[in-house]
Amino acid sequence: MAVIVKNNVLVRRLQEALPLVFMAALALYAIWPWLPLRGRTAKTHTIIFYGFSILAESMNQRIFPAFQEEWQAASGDSIEFVSSFAGSGTITNQIIMGVPADIGLLPLEMDANRIAASGITTSRSWQELPHRGVVNLTPFIILVRPGNPKNIRDFSDLVRPGVQVVHPDPLTSGGANWAIVAVYGAGMRQNPGNPNAGYDLLLGVWRNVVAQASSARAARTQFENGFGDALITYEQEVLWDQSRGRLRGEIVYPRSTILSEHMVMAIERNIEPEEREIVNSFVQFLWSKTAQRIFVEYGFRSVDEQMNAGNPAFGKIADPFLIEDFGGWQRAKPEIVDAIWKEHVLKEMER
Amino acid sequence: MSASMRYAPGAAGRQSALIPAGILVLVLMPLLLMPLAAIFVFAFRGGLPEFWRALSDADAQFALRFSLLIAFATAIINAALGTFAAYVLSKYRFPGKETLGIVVNLPVAIPTVVVGTSLLLLWGPIGLLGQMLPADLQPMFTPVGVLLAHLFVTFPYMLGVIKPLLDELEVTYEEAAFTIGATRWQTFRYVILPALRGGLFTGALLTFAHSLGEFGATVMVSGNLRLRTQTAPLYIFAQFEAGNIANANAVAAVLAVLSFVIFFFLLRFTGRRARGGAKA
Amino acid sequence: MSIVLKNLSKRFGTLVVVDRVSLDVTDSELFVLLGTSGSGKSTILRLIAGLIQPDDGRIMLHGRDVTMLPPQKRGTGFVFQNYSIFRHMSVADNIEFGLKIRRLSRLERVRKRDELLELVGMAGLGNRFADQLSGGQQQRVALARALAYEPGVLLLDEPFGALDVKTRSQLRRSLKEVQQKFSVTAILVTHDQDEAFELGDRIGVLERGRLLEIEHPEKLYAEPRTLFVATFLGAGTVLVGRTRDDQAHFGHLVLPIPQDVPHEDGTPVQVLFRPEQVSLTEEEPEDKSIVLGKGSVVEHSFTGALRRLRLRLPQLSATRQIAPVPPFGEQGILVDAVVPAERKITQSEFWVSLHGWRILQPPEPQLLVFDQGERGISTLMMAKKIAQQLDAQATLFSVTRDQDELESLRDRLNRRQQEADLAGAEVRVAIGKDPVEQLAVEQNSALYSMLLLAPQAKKRRSFARRNGRPERRRLRRISRLGTILVKVLDSAHLPVVVVKKERDAIRRILICTRGGEPGKTDVRVGGRLARRLKASVTLLYITEDSTKPGPIAHSHLERAALTLRSLDVPVETRIRTAKTPARGILAESREGDYDLIVVGRHEAESRSVFGRDDVTLQVLVGADRPVLVVPTTL
Repeated sequence: MAVIVKNNVLVRRLQEALPLVFMAALALYAIWPWLPLRGRTAKTHTIIFYGFSILAESMNQRIFPAFQEEWQAASGDSIEFVSSFAGSGTITNQIIMGVPADIGLLPLEMDANRIAASGITTSRSWQELPHRGVVNLTPFIILVRPGNPKNIRDFSDLVRPGVQVVHPDPLTSGGANWAIVAVYGAGMRQNPGNPNAGYDLLLGVWRNVVAQASSARAARTQFENGFGDALITYEQEVLWDQSRGRLRGEIVYPRSTILSEHMVMAIERNIEPEEREIVNSFVQFLWSKTAQRIFVEYGFRSVDEQMNAGNPAFGKIADPFLIEDFGGWQRAKPEIVDAIWKEHVLKEMER
Repeated sequence: MSASMRYAPGAAGRQSALIPAGILVLVLMPLLLMPLAAIFVFAFRGGLPEFWRALSDADAQFALRFSLLIAFATAIINAALGTFAAYVLSKYRFPGKETLGIVVNLPVAIPTVVVGTSLLLLWGPIGLLGQMLPADLQPMFTPVGVLLAHLFVTFPYMLGVIKPLLDELEVTYEEAAFTIGATRWQTFRYVILPALRGGLFTGALLTFAHSLGEFGATVMVSGNLRLRTQTAPLYIFAQFEAGNIANANAVAAVLAVLSFVIFFFLLRFTGRRARGGAKA
Repeated sequence: MSIVLKNLSKRFGTLVVVDRVSLDVTDSELFVLLGTSGSGKSTILRLIAGLIQPDDGRIMLHGRDVTMLPPQKRGTGFVFQNYSIFRHMSVADNIEFGLKIRRLSRLERVRKRDELLELVGMAGLGNRFADQLSGGQQQRVALARALAYEPGVLLLDEPFGALDVKTRSQLRRSLKEVQQKFSVTAILVTHDQDEAFELGDRIGVLERGRLLEIEHPEKLYAEPRTLFVATFLGAGTVLVGRTRDDQAHFGHLVLPIPQDVPHEDGTPVQVLFRPEQVSLTEEEPEDKSIVLGKGSVVEHSFTGALRRLRLRLPQLSATRQIAPVPPFGEQGILVDAVVPAERKITQSEFWVSLHGWRILQPPEPQLLVFDQGERGISTLMMAKKIAQQLDAQATLFSVTRDQDELESLRDRLNRRQQEADLAGAEVRVAIGKDPVEQLAVEQNSALYSMLLLAPQAKKRRSFARRNGRPERRRLRRISRLGTILVKVLDSAHLPVVVVKKERDAIRRILICTRGGEPGKTDVRVGGRLARRLKASVTLLYITEDSTKPGPIAHSHLERAALTLRSLDVPVETRIRTAKTPARGILAESREGDYDLIVVGRHEAESRSVFGRDDVTLQVLVGADRPVLVVPTTL
């Protein structure tokens, strides 16, 4: 009898202690990697990298490890990469707000201009880098549902009534800005002599936009979740899925489209003097054969045209063009995105 | 006799409870239960090995651990801070007390994103105070910034639990201790604090749970650096946006289970306290 | 002396809660502080314990001045009404708490704790928690906890207040035992006179922060000095009569005034007789000097050992009753008596005589200020000045019809009181339709020395047009003063000060004696007031015709001046000629810039008051300064 009572007390004690035991276990789990149980590795340098969304896998999985290996082999020091990937507008804003980024890789030179204007870097230093800072490119393509049920062959087909288009938000996404210029440029180049062709095509496409995600990556996730019939996006995005066998859709190469150029910039203000050398080496490393090959493998087109043969999935584009053809972002942004898309397309759609 | 039967909580009474309970479950189905279930369905769609793989990803592990550490720190700091605030607001009279009472409860009502923005505008590198700090003491975009945001957002929970307890405590409770000879600190330590023990536990768990799930303010102040300042909710969001739904759901499932366990403890603890008096 | 309080005072805002209290409590004494709620008794206890700080005065415990020490350093044991047992600690831990703080060894603690548990009858219950104990048991624990560290002083704040009657009496006995065993000096606060009588070695009675009397229980009951103590402790009849030739007159009943009761010819005097001091006989007693009269039984109750009777006797002239409170509007004197239960009551009438009584001390001056919380605060300002000059207490009194307005009216009065800086005044609001009636009841309920109020005029003009001229004039006057004031003047048995505009202080008093009438009461009342206010008096005599005033005027003034001089008041006399007495009085008051006009309320009950001769009303209407109206019934 007494034993039973005692046992009951014991059980009650245990029950009362359970929350504490549970919380203690959680705490132990949380603190585990920081416990001084194992010998710490040698002194490490930390590079903080901010990139736009579609870079995440290629950088995390291959580029960082490749450079870490190379650097350790050369100097014996280990390097730690801390990275954050998000829509290019978000990245740019964070850098301007003062996140301690050492390097930014942006899909729009115009974002880089904003960062330079805020005084975080010395003016437009990426201009002095190889290829004026551009590390890789990718054309803008149309992703459609398997079997292409709406029979979409070009941007002009997106204008048809009943076609639902998923598009990233131009306010936060660099990709969205590229997509606007891609559509506008295609219209202009396909119809020489009609000065309104670009505007008409852009307006037609935008009338069919059903969802605007915050980044190119988010737009693709949305499309994958079943939204819309067509997605205007980076070729790389789609090829990367394809290479992993996860693509549920088909690529449609427009006859005429833009190649987005992705440029790297060092955020000088945030770079510790003793890490400057590493940062510079890493930036140079991005143009190395190793890095360019990785980019191509992950679906980016290399700055070196010859490397592009390395990826058989790259499709043929009849009439590719660059932002330079429209005067670079300094002119394209105010003239196309702001004046035509924002001032006219959006206003026209509101009617 | 028949009259007493009618009011007896017999089998009939239990049966009739099924109907309202059933309605409640039905209403909650699409509202709460099914979305929660969806997390688990997606988390385990690739099977247990895939779930483990997603969970053992270094980023996911870091995010979980980081979230837990921040939650522990938040709970501990706010337990002390909230108790102190409750004590001051409950036991002292001073001008502006009512206003202060409202202000400390504001974080409940302010959108968490606004909390994040306001912290950035104060402590950020270009903020009012932040710009006066040297570069290596900048709190924003570091774990300290995340902690600050969490302290801000979860501040009212501890207060909300402790203050009613203190208000309820008779003034003579303290006075008795004073006349017996206990100093103010001894009185607090041996008389007030033990009377609050249950509330401290409840408040700390609540704070912990809210901190674990905090997103809006964190996304603003953390800089979202993986392996640095990425909390579990940020990881989930980033992975979901990137289309890695399996990764996102694995961590989401863990968070959901943790929350469930914590609230289970909370309910059991408060339930027992209500039944067994202040002793437990 | 274990506890010595010297001139202890405590104010909360303008409210004086403890008013210059001095007290010596001897070693091992159980002293009881008795008072109604709000009398300041608990505040005194908390001051002694150091839980609040006094505004003034000193506190000594065992010869040590502890006034500035925190509660922790005073070594008092405090037992609260709500027990305040620490809920998360067991009974044992509660008792040991003080010992742990004092770092006693565990062995010592356990020994003491067990001893105390035994002593308070809780042996074996050390493991229990507060929520497993009854209220009585919790209070026993609280007592043990307060005694554990052997405090020099034990303070008990209504310790049995929250307990049922049976537990209460058990605990009282335990407390007395324990207190004697420890021979600890104790102060117990209570509002329960049975408790005070049962426990107290001595009792101190508190009223409105003042310690009125300190005595052994029996003496306090048998020989109270003040009206408050007389009526607060036990039942009894209190009558107010007049002093004449060093004797107290209550109609035909004349009682000697003891040497130790200060008295003065013409002033009111109070007598108390307890029910057991009243004899009821069927035949008129032979000793007529102690016979109160023949009364009829109006109430009869049987309480076991005794029968309680209440009888109504015919009104005694120039006498009014304070206790038991006479129903409004009824004539006669109520007397309570007790007879042994075995005496059967078969008659409805008895001769009532006294075989014991107590002449009470004259009351401290107290002002009754009637204020409805509207218009200016002149009355309150004047009350403050007079209260200061007389060292009197004031009661602010107001009447409302509406229960719902009670709180807002009280708030308004409190604000006005603060505005007028009338600190320490009590605010009373009565609910009733007729303010005059409520005011009359209030005048009876305590011993006020003066009523202050303002004219309550309404802005109605021409309601009297159809009446005859003199009548119309009278009604116009009444409408300018307000019917309330006129009715109050007609029914008051207190001197009434009508305040239109306050004066800085009362230094010069004009007493008007109307032509032809000796106006004895006005002169005496005005004179006594002048003496206490240290004011000078001018006696005024008005002749209505232009002929020289006759010798009657001179001898009249001379007699009045003599009365005043016997009170040590500086006097001047003046004779004025005027068309009407009122005009003469008003002219003189303006020329001499007097602070107060004293007039009689003559012939209050006769029809002629309403005639064109109503000097009092004429003076009130015309005066631009306070007027004291002395009722003739006084």
